[in-house]
Parts: sequence; C-alpha cells; structure tokens
Amino acid sequence: MSASSITIGCGSAYAGDRLEPAVDLSRSGRVKYMGFDCLAERTLALAQMRRLADPTKGHDERISALVPLVAEFTAGGGRVIGNFGAANPAAAVDEFVDGLRTAGRTGVKVAMIEGDDVLSAIMADATELPELGSTAALMGSSIVSAHAYIGAEPIVAALEQDADLVVGGRLADPSLFVGPICHELGWDLNDWQRVGEATLVGHLLECGVHSTGGNFEDPPYRVVPDPWNLGFPMAEVSSDGAVVTKLPGTGGAVDIRTARTQIYYEIHDPSRYLTPDVTADFTQVSIEETAPDVIHVGGARGLAQPSMLKVLVGVNMGFKGTGEISYGGPGCIDRARRAEEILRHRLEALGSDIVDFRIDLQGWNSLFGDAYRPADDVAEVRLRLAVQTRTREAAAAAVYEVEYLYFGPAGGGGVVTNVAPHIAVTPAYLPRERVSLNVELVTT
Amino acid sequence: MKLREIAYARSGDKSDTSNICVFPFRDDDYPILLREVTAERVAALFGSLVRGSVSRYEIPNNVGLNFVLAEALGGGVSLTLRADPHGKSFQSLLLDLDIESDS
Repeated sequence: MSASSITIGCGSAYAGDRLEPAVDLSRSGRVKYMGFDCLAERTLALAQMRRLADPTKGHDERISALVPLVAEFTAGGGRVIGNFGAANPAAAVDEFVDGLRTAGRTGVKVAMIEGDDVLSAIMADATELPELGSTAALMGSSIVSAHAYIGAEPIVAALEQDADLVVGGRLADPSLFVGPICHELGWDLNDWQRVGEATLVGHLLECGVHSTGGNFEDPPYRVVPDPWNLGFPMAEVSSDGAVVTKLPGTGGAVDIRTARTQIYYEIHDPSRYLTPDVTADFTQVSIEETAPDVIHVGGARGLAQPSMLKVLVGVNMGFKGTGEISYGGPGCIDRARRAEEILRHRLEALGSDIVDFRIDLQGWNSLFGDAYRPADDVAEVRLRLAVQTRTREAAAAAVYEVEYLYFGPAGGGGVVTNVAPHIAVTPAYLPRERVSLNVELVTT
Repeated sequence: MKLREIAYARSGDKSDTSNICVFPFRDDDYPILLREVTAERVAALFGSLVRGSVSRYEIPNNVGLNFVLAEALGGGVSLTLRADPHGKSFQSLLLDLDIESDS
C-alpha cells in the first residue's frame, strides 16, 4: 500500500559539495530518502577522461567518504539515490559494496542503473551536434563521451526491488527525487500531472543550498542569517503539495524569495521545463510561507514527457591554459594594456597550435566586457590570459609568456598559471527508444 | 533608479544559453518590471556579450520574468575561455538596469 506522504532530503548538489550538511540531514530522523546529485554538465566528460586513463576510475570521488553516511542511514531504514556512477556506475557500486562490507554493514541492497552511455548510438546515428554545427560521426575520435539523461523509471524499478542504495550514471537531477516520490506515494510515472508536481520538488531539492540561501545574498538588499553554515533542503511531499524546509540551527533561509530564484533557475520557457520524465509547467506554482524557514509549494502541472532524450557529448578540444598577473596603483590599466600587447605579439609567434585565446583585465572588463563601466579609475587589475591549444606544449608555452611578464611593464606581480585538458560538453538529442536501461542488484 | 533597488535575480546556464529570472521585492512593483525590463532593453544592456536572441517569459503567478539569452556564454560553459563560464555574474549586470519608478 502506498504512503500518504514521503520525507526526502538533498544530500549533494554537485561533485564537490560539502558532506557535513548531508550527514546532519541523514542523522536528523527527519527524512526517509536522500537524493545525491553529483554531476554538472562537464563532470561526466572529466569522469570519462579519468576512466580512459584507468578503467577502475571515472565515478564520484567521494564514495569512501560517503560510506559511513550510507551505512548508518540505511541501517535506520533510510534509502539513498544518487548519480554517483558518473562515467562508471559499476566502479561506484564496487566501491560502495566493498566499503559497506568493510564497515560491517551486510544485507544492504545496492542497485546499479546502467545504459546512459550512448556513445555507440550517437556514432551509429550520426547524431547532430547543433551547437558545434557538426555531427557525432564527423567529429569522430575527438568525441570522448556521450551520456543520455535518464529519468525516474529505473529508480522506481530499483526501489520496487527493495534497493537501499540506488546508483546510476547520468540520472537527471530532478529524477533523483521524482523516483522515490512516485514510488512511495504510488504515483504512476505516466500520470503527467503527478510527475509534474514531483518534478517541482525535485527541482527545489536538486541544487542543495540554492534553495536555502546559497547564491542569493546581495547586501544590503538580500541578506540571510549565518551563510557560512547553510543547511541542505528537505521536503515532505503528499498529494496536497510539498512542505520544504531545512534543519533548525542551520544557516540561510527558506522563504518565498529563495524558492522563487531556485524554481525558475536554469529553466527556459517556464510552461515547458523538459526532463526525461515530463514536460513540467511551473507557471501556476504557488509558494506560501507557513512558518519561519518553512514554505508550502504546489500548483505545478505536467504534460507528456519529451520523445527525445537530451544527451551530453564530451568533445576533446585539446588543452586550455590560463595565466594571470596583477598590476596596481597609478596607471595600472595602461601597464596591463601594454602587457596585453606584448602577449599578443608573443602568442602570434607560437603559430597554429594556438586555436583561440582571449585576454581580459579582471577588475575592469573580464565579466561584462564593455557593458558595465562605473568608474574611470581602479586600484588594481589582474590580467588574465585564457588560451585553447592543440597540444599541451603549446598551452605551456603560452602561459609561460604570462610568467615572463614579470619582465614586461613595471610592477607586475603574483603570476599564477595552469594547463589542463580542454573538454567541451555539447548537447544532442536521441530518440528515447535508442536508450535501453538495465537495473542490477547486489547485496552486501 | 537601478533595478537592483526593487528586485532580485538569479542567473543559470545550459550549454551556450543563459537564463536570468528576476522578481520584485514587493509584489506591487511587478507592473514596473513588466514595463521597464523588456527583452529589448536587456539585449541592449548585455550588448556583445550575447550573440543570439533575448526572450522574455512572464510568470504572473510569482511576479517573475525569465529572460533566456541565446548564444550568451561564449560558445558554452565548457567551451568558452571567459573568466565566468557559467554567467553566474549576469544577474548582477541585469540588476544594474536603469529604470523609471512610478513615483
């Protein structure tokens, strides 16, 4: 029989998120489920590069740190869903299973969801890459990864098989929450209205502190208490909507303003938010403050799910170098401009291995170009070179030119440089039926 | 006056597209946003930062506007060489818009 409500919290919003707020939530007794989003657009391509270098890698790098949380939370009847798998769900499951067994936690059912890796499908289909003006087939061996966004269906299948821990690859962010909500409340995944409501909750929880006062303050107009100690959001969901809050004693705020900025974050047409599960309509959402740091949300609607699944394709673009140097005091802009002129001459000499570069002055024009110019004078600027190259050597040679600006215009200081592989991630779309998913269970 | 005095915003990214949602602190100021913060004015404010179109979606139920800026992130979050690849800072540029209040 289905429950009348479900309690669920956020455990992570990206691959580098803090662990402490997740531990606090897992021990609070306030949530039965926790969803962990571990992926941003580029995370998967970087994970795929790690997997190519070492077949046992390419999954979330926090798993050993998360084992104690999972061991304790599941022992108390809690269930965890996460896209910890990144580019290698099997390796993530192995690490969880080994860690849980070592911790003495036997009998934990761990589900692995596979099938989001669609590299061979996009190559066979010559799938279009609209933002690159090319196709997968034409890009050939420079494509390093392709992962389709996966919805709630395999999560529900895993939970129906009594999984305590569900591990997938590119499980879509809101689906990490839509799965358990629909499973626990008995909502059919073809009931678009219900799935739309669940997706609203998922969107509020998936970004973690974005719903509790993170990426929000703008003093003196927008200020929240104790932003150094933001809590993760949690929700109690029923057919009447959702009550969203955070743990008492944590910093930040859960109110109409923080909710509005998150509900419409990274959404285009608010009447057509596309996920693998549904076309969600957030135009009629209502938010009510019912107590301090407690809101009630509802009113989301849903239409049929898209027939195409979004795919993120990782493309090897060579290398990226960055280098920075600071100039201060009178005439600092003029000296930085002279340094820029020197760099342009030196980079020209490096030839065709330089694919593209830009030079900005931080403190002057690096964020908004010429669109924002409040004053004629500044105390200091930091020149920033960013360069895309065909080879690692060319990137190193380019950023060396920033270092050599110690001997350029007077008083340049504080050089920092970096060289790294440059992986671009670009969207594509694949018919849903081209993606076949598999759920496999292991018991510790 | 500046939009920042009466409104708040957040910007996000999807590949080469940026979205910025903006809301008034007081619901009663929503008509000022509707009148003053047009797609044309936002496009003019961002200038060459945005190569594609600027679309505006109205969300009356939550007194919000959502701006979608195409080809706005220098080729995309992972491809661009810009210092702020996500356009996280775009919300602050939007709030610098000069507006006429009712009074």
